[in-house]
Amino acid sequence: MVHSVLKASRFFCPPREALGLTSAISGRVCYSAFSSMKETNFSIVDSSSNTVAPTREPCITDTLSVNVNGTTSSMSVQCTPEIEKKFVHHVYDAIAPHFSSTRFAKWPKVAAFLSSLPLGSLVLDAGCGNGKYLGLNHDCFFIGCDISSSLIKICSDRGHEVLVADAVNLPYRTGFGDAAISIAVLHHLSTENRRRRAIEELVRVVKKGGLVLITVWAVEQEDRMLITKWTPLNEKYVDEWVGPGSPRVRTPSSVSLESIPESEESRSREHMNVCNEPNVSRDLDEENNIKNQQEYFVPWHLPYHRAEISGASADALAAGLAIKDDKKGAVVYNRYYHVFSEGELERLTTGINNARIVDQFFDKSNWCVILEKTL
Amino acid sequence: MRLLTHNMLSSNIKGVVNGFPLRIEAEKVVEKTVEMNGEFLKKMFEKIDWKAFVDASRAMGPEEADCSMLDSDEFLNRFHHALLELHLEEGALVCPETGRRFPVNKGIPNMLLHEDEDTDGEDSKDGLTDIWKVGVFSVTG
Repeated sequence: MVHSVLKASRFFCPPREALGLTSAISGRVCYSAFSSMKETNFSIVDSSSNTVAPTREPCITDTLSVNVNGTTSSMSVQCTPEIEKKFVHHVYDAIAPHFSSTRFAKWPKVAAFLSSLPLGSLVLDAGCGNGKYLGLNHDCFFIGCDISSSLIKICSDRGHEVLVADAVNLPYRTGFGDAAISIAVLHHLSTENRRRRAIEELVRVVKKGGLVLITVWAVEQEDRMLITKWTPLNEKYVDEWVGPGSPRVRTPSSVSLESIPESEESRSREHMNVCNEPNVSRDLDEENNIKNQQEYFVPWHLPYHRAEISGASADALAAGLAIKDDKKGAVVYNRYYHVFSEGELERLTTGINNARIVDQFFDKSNWCVILEKTL
Repeated sequence: MRLLTHNMLSSNIKGVVNGFPLRIEAEKVVEKTVEMNGEFLKKMFEKIDWKAFVDASRAMGPEEADCSMLDSDEFLNRFHHALLELHLEEGALVCPETGRRFPVNKGIPNMLLHEDEDTDGEDSKDGLTDIWKVGVFSVTG
């Protein structure tokens, strides 16, 4: 059966020489080019009665379960904490097109990693965002996933093979991929257990000998001015979502952390629900606190004209999850970040017994690691 | 969603022992041509679960894969077509153990779990009891 369909060039393209192609193959394809695509419609094939799982209401309040030992049980690891729902998922869904327009530059280290993969590799991008790296190596097949359906729609419109999924619970069979990447993702996970779980998932889904590249934002930002635009989240606030008994990365201080000087942007305390103590003693070592500080809200300015298109901003403003900045003509969202300290990625990986570190480096204010699955 | 992707998707619901393969309910299947790469196909052939692939291709339409493809000179073309050129645009992927449907819309599967589906199956084996539940993200101002 031969179907004449519009030939489409895809990211996955074989070497031109191999096929003797004379026409130029562009690396991108838009769905709009599929105007004469033949569509075959089928009715639902499976008509046999099957057990339909009852629909469940998503739980409104998020909880942490604590076992008799006082440590957080694994029951909490895959359940999304409220802070991530409100200050990661919701935000990316609201800002997706604008965010995507700013994410086009390919990071050389990531490009080099992907280009080094052998022909025919199946590459999984967990937390692929706008799909910037999907198809970067034309000899590989990429599957991207992200928790934001808005971002995944953008990827799909560009012709990528993508799905909506959770990095903490990847829907892939074990050992199927040849390589996996996690670029600027893990710093959005709010507990150490979830961050470790996400790394375990990346290792699980690649084959033995498969490589995993992970990059995360560093505490040690090269542009120190950038940090002044962030809102540090203080100790008490961190305790509330991390929960008692969770392992702490840094030495907890007995007093509230002094907040790093804010930028000129107006920021309502009630809206952001951040407990900044206004009268903290200036005797504290400010530099030390900056070094220890790892939890932040990082602002995203969504221009008003963009906010109107997305429509989600009206709800966000009403709920106090975003504020208006008339001076900048933008709706200001906050994204939750746990920035990584030196050695933290390495420490997380050490506990994973079927992976070893083959490379680790600091590049452009990101801590990076390449793992190899050993078993 | 292509059949290559389907061949690596698994239901990750709590308590499910083997969530692969997901059963396909196809409402709309679309064909999109893509250039063939023999080397890539050979690599994928070694990787995929053949039975799951054949069963899935039946759900996607009359151009099905079968074992005779292995002997046929046209093997690569037909394998390529079924593996990479058929797209499930609308439908669902059904967990083989629970019957839970993961929807596929505009070619995109949504594999996110509901709140009560996404805990680790190992919890029950540990026999740990919850002594209290802590409310998180409580606003104390």
